[in-house]
Amino acid sequence: MAAATDLNPFVPAPAGDNAFARITDNVSRIAEAERPPRAWYIAFGVALTMLTVFLGAIGWLVWNGIGVWGNQIPVAWAFDIVNFVFWIGIGHAGTLISAILFLLRQSWRTAINRFAEAMTIFAVICAGIFPGIHIGRPWLPYYMMPIPNQMDMWPQFRSPLEWDIFAVSTYATISIVFWYMGMIPDFATFRDRATTFWRRFAYGIVAMGWRGSSRQWHRYERAYLLLAALATPLVLSVHSVVSFDFATAQLPGWHTTIFPPYFVAGAIFGGFAMVVLLAVPARQFFGLKRIIQIKHLELMNKVLIATGLLVGYAYGMEFFVAWYSGNSYEGFTFINRAFGQYYWAYWTMITCNVLAPQLHWFKKIRTSPLATLLIGMVINVGMWFERFVIISTSLARDFLPSSWNYYIPTTIDYLTLGGSFGLFFTLFLLFCRYLPMVAMAEVKSIHPSAHAHAEHH
Amino acid sequence: MATAKKGPTKKTGSAKKGGSEATPDSQPKPSASVPEDAAGKVEIAGFSDKIRLGSEGGALFAKAAGLAVIALGASVALGASQGDGFKRWSHGYLVGYAVALAITAGSLFWVILQNLVNARWSVAVRRMGELFAANMPLLGVLSLPLVLPVMTGSPLIYEWADKAKVASDHLLHHKSGYLNANFFLVRMLFYFGFWTVLARFYLGSSRRQDETGGPEIVPSMNRISGPAMIGFALTLTFCAVDLIMSVDARWFSTMFGVYFFASCVLSVHATLILSLLWVQKKGRLAKSITAEHYHDLGKMLFAFVIFWAYVAFSQFMLIWYSNIPEETAWFKVRFAGGWGNVAWTLVFGHFVVPFFGLLSRHIKRSRPALAFWCFYMLAMVYIDMYWLVLPSIEVEPNVQAMDILAALGLLSALVAGAAREAGKKNLIPTKDPRLSQSLAFENI
Amino acid sequence: MSDAHEPKTETGPAPLHGILAEYATPTEILAASRKIRDAGFSRWDTYTPFPVHGIDKAMGIRMTILPWIVLGAGLCGLATAILLQWWTNAYDYRWLVSGKPFWSIPANVPIMFELTVLFAGLTTLVAMLVLNNLPFPSHPLDHIRRFARSTDDRFFLFVEAADPKFDEDSTKTLLEGTHPHAIENVLEDRKTSDALPVGIIYGLVIMTVASAVPFALAAKARYTLSRSPRIHIIQDMDAQPKYKAQRENPVFSDGRSTRVPDAETVAVGELHEDDHFYRGKDNGAWARTFPPAFRVDEVAMDRGQQRFGIYCTPCHGFGGEGNGMVAKRAEELAQGTWTPPSNLTDARIRNMPVGELFNTITNGIRNMPAYGPQIPTSDRWAIILYLRALERARAATLADLEPAERTGL
Repeated sequence: MAAATDLNPFVPAPAGDNAFARITDNVSRIAEAERPPRAWYIAFGVALTMLTVFLGAIGWLVWNGIGVWGNQIPVAWAFDIVNFVFWIGIGHAGTLISAILFLLRQSWRTAINRFAEAMTIFAVICAGIFPGIHIGRPWLPYYMMPIPNQMDMWPQFRSPLEWDIFAVSTYATISIVFWYMGMIPDFATFRDRATTFWRRFAYGIVAMGWRGSSRQWHRYERAYLLLAALATPLVLSVHSVVSFDFATAQLPGWHTTIFPPYFVAGAIFGGFAMVVLLAVPARQFFGLKRIIQIKHLELMNKVLIATGLLVGYAYGMEFFVAWYSGNSYEGFTFINRAFGQYYWAYWTMITCNVLAPQLHWFKKIRTSPLATLLIGMVINVGMWFERFVIISTSLARDFLPSSWNYYIPTTIDYLTLGGSFGLFFTLFLLFCRYLPMVAMAEVKSIHPSAHAHAEHH
Repeated sequence: MATAKKGPTKKTGSAKKGGSEATPDSQPKPSASVPEDAAGKVEIAGFSDKIRLGSEGGALFAKAAGLAVIALGASVALGASQGDGFKRWSHGYLVGYAVALAITAGSLFWVILQNLVNARWSVAVRRMGELFAANMPLLGVLSLPLVLPVMTGSPLIYEWADKAKVASDHLLHHKSGYLNANFFLVRMLFYFGFWTVLARFYLGSSRRQDETGGPEIVPSMNRISGPAMIGFALTLTFCAVDLIMSVDARWFSTMFGVYFFASCVLSVHATLILSLLWVQKKGRLAKSITAEHYHDLGKMLFAFVIFWAYVAFSQFMLIWYSNIPEETAWFKVRFAGGWGNVAWTLVFGHFVVPFFGLLSRHIKRSRPALAFWCFYMLAMVYIDMYWLVLPSIEVEPNVQAMDILAALGLLSALVAGAAREAGKKNLIPTKDPRLSQSLAFENI
Repeated sequence: MSDAHEPKTETGPAPLHGILAEYATPTEILAASRKIRDAGFSRWDTYTPFPVHGIDKAMGIRMTILPWIVLGAGLCGLATAILLQWWTNAYDYRWLVSGKPFWSIPANVPIMFELTVLFAGLTTLVAMLVLNNLPFPSHPLDHIRRFARSTDDRFFLFVEAADPKFDEDSTKTLLEGTHPHAIENVLEDRKTSDALPVGIIYGLVIMTVASAVPFALAAKARYTLSRSPRIHIIQDMDAQPKYKAQRENPVFSDGRSTRVPDAETVAVGELHEDDHFYRGKDNGAWARTFPPAFRVDEVAMDRGQQRFGIYCTPCHGFGGEGNGMVAKRAEELAQGTWTPPSNLTDARIRNMPVGELFNTITNGIRNMPAYGPQIPTSDRWAIILYLRALERARAATLADLEPAERTGL
């Protein structure tokens, strides 16, 4: 098999050293430590506080009704849907790293795929809350399911919102399946290293009795490949279905045929920014610098340039066709976005999404963890603003000037948005504490020592 | 420069089977590549293989060029016999041209992509892509039947070329800032100029690498690929808009560039597979191109069958759903009467059937099966382009011999161009540092 | 991993379950596997911390049928999605939305795709676990201390005693020939019971029974009658203490919420005292002149013409002859109950007082509905003004024409 070259991101191990044991140790001791690092406690405290705020804001909303938000006519969809699309988008990077990079045989993904997948699941959880609470009577969400009900009515399958239900639930399910299946061998590792009964029992249950039999690995690998092949079109479809929520409408600024791939590119863009945002402190505070190397950060930053440019391309196409179509409403919408009442949101979006990632053309910047972190944050902000610009500004000024209005978010809107990060980080920190943060088995399998120097019979 | 280890000892000066004349004993000329041995094979990365077309290339060129001239000539003659000033003919020609553009632009895209991501598996295949991308100047010349009517102000294909019509029509007048003859010409020159420069750069650098093997070549090809890709995306989009979308100047779709792009990628993979199969049938690259390469190319073909369907469906469904007349009019024509049957043919033929056909791992590794599916997909791309263009002037599908002949002629021209470019030179980049990985990788 | 235990014997030393060999690198385990494969063993396996590249071939493992199972599941998902959407929206309870067909195939495609993937994905995991015999709680190898490293950094090869080619000595010699790091005998497991723990059985039974409870409650709610109102936690403004029309109201003696105004009550702006203008009556008889409140001028005439064209021509026709589109259609349909609209230009209508005409427009007559609610009062007078002009025109004589015009006829 090919020897390690400068194209393989691993540092070759000194002869005689056992790389596999080092990998196991490096990753397992994070979950096995008596106490997690101090930074974890601080972060967890903050996250838990934000989570409490989130739950409080939701409780207040459910008790009092949608009026506590700033939604009005015509801006009937605002922070609620912006946040939903934002969180779903973030989830997509994890699936891309797990599934698409796997199909493309990019071995560098193994350092980050586990916590990226975890990030996906937590992001989808955060996302799924918003449609649930924004429906006015959140105690009746089962109406959206094809369950026989007392009115003998069925959901409206011709609606993109219904497609959303199926797409997001499928995505959540398959992501969890993929994540769990990936963790089975690592749970087995934890189980075999466990020093207390309860650890052994707990990890043993979820490991399902995995012992690393090659016959089992054969079917496991096939299943992994199949899931990767299924998850790839799935991730494309989910954000496409989310984009259909808007593109199927007749609203200028919403009704554009390029929305599906545009949203998917944007989702991957924002998601990678979040992965990168989490990777930098994670490798720092959990001592994973030998596994999540600068090379990985650099590759992710390159993906950010590519997807950022795809998003920029879509902006350009929308703008061009808005003029080309000769449709005055469409033309107005785009002028209004840049120079109307929400110009500040638009230019924030352009700066953060189109300009900021271009800094990564410079090697010095894309190999600096701090710059990576900061630009990742900036891109996340930019992607949030992109959804805001698309959703709220298009609604605020549409066909009939007498209906125009200006949307102003309320305190509860802000608390809900900020609080959702609390839920996300709480779950993520718990994951870091108790679950295998890095896919040990996969990292081992791409290490140079994993390749046999043999003739193949 | 490495000389073939096995070469000099075996060479006796006897006749060889179609390899090129190379005498390893003589002074290696500064511009010569690795010389061949007695059997016409060249030592690369641990084994030897025939890597040059030699006289086969010349034979192919002659046949393809001859076919191109005859087919195009016949097509033009038939077109003239219609007596409508070549109006019907030029639409048929545009369809064939669109497929040729898809193949050539697709090849350029593929080459840029492989360099952008520093791909290792495709190195053995890359030269083939570079050869087809080198057809850009030829393609530029072949666009004359489409460009000339515009320059003379004739609405043969594009109604916006007619200045009087534009002046009297409010919508066309609005678009005339973009859709006008001069700007159109400038754009076309720019597209083909840009693409030619890129194609030459990649093929040139790659060939230079064959001779010098310099370590700076791969990074230089990688570095330019980022900006090249950006430029390519924009030029391809607007070329598709200019040539195909503006046939119905009233319609618009932001997805159109992506839609044409999907066909480009499908076409290039089908073309690469077919050309490699042909080359191997002629005894070249027998060991260099393995089932693994075909498997990977087949996987990409499969993936883009799905991607095309995704893009086509999104474009259609969004317009269907909102039901806005200025957008649905374009589809309405393409679903009326016989065109509706063509549309359903595309749904099943362009997506469902090849999806199941290309799903199996075995099929992707079987040369006869892949050959079938590649021809099939190119035929489907042709039907797709036909369905995009012809409904603008034909109420019912009315396939004429001149349409098929034009397509045949254009594709033969591409083959001739690639064969000529291949000439007596290497069919794989022999000194690419990643070549050994490309020759040795195994699929999952 | 197939591993049938021998039934436990109660006494004596535990029999041999197999031999375990440990290796430190993938190269070694591949070489060892080839040897064992070539020796013709069938009940053996290797245990590695990650899937070793090339081991499938080295062990002679055949391709699994998992992909076919997943394909089948995916197709099931597709069929389910199509059937679900067709049956619920196009068959069981059809309703029109945005004018889209009942069975909107383009609109059904997203869910068709999602369910295909969902079914296929879930099946991938479940089928993989089932085919792999997982969960597999207990195995004799668990008692071998060194075996814990199979999930860490060591590679193991295990040959079962149950294999027909197994012989303790020769198999051990064969394995030693592969230069393992260590070799060990593995005995049958006497310590762990084969039976499922009682706790788990109880747990499963309880969970199964408990999971039926929600369905039972739903069934009960569906098929029984309850007089208590729904549990409604978040009241909002859903139950408002106000009286609605058609409801009972005990405050009034007749018990109704809907009240009728007293006689003599007149709404603001509705005191229509001008009999002539509002009812076409002049001192009790039909008025023969236009009311003073109505201004007769060019504007009124144009207005009347326009309004006539809107309201009257469907039945009476543009010429007022009673040949409007509705009348023609009714004749075509040959409905027996149809009374044709009057010819407004004949003598009877020409001689009718304007007040009576006004009354007819306001209250209707025979098949003609009352137009009072649609046409404001002054517009009705304008229509009558135009009608008079129309009648005059239709009853013109030669004497009415200018001399110059007479020659044109």
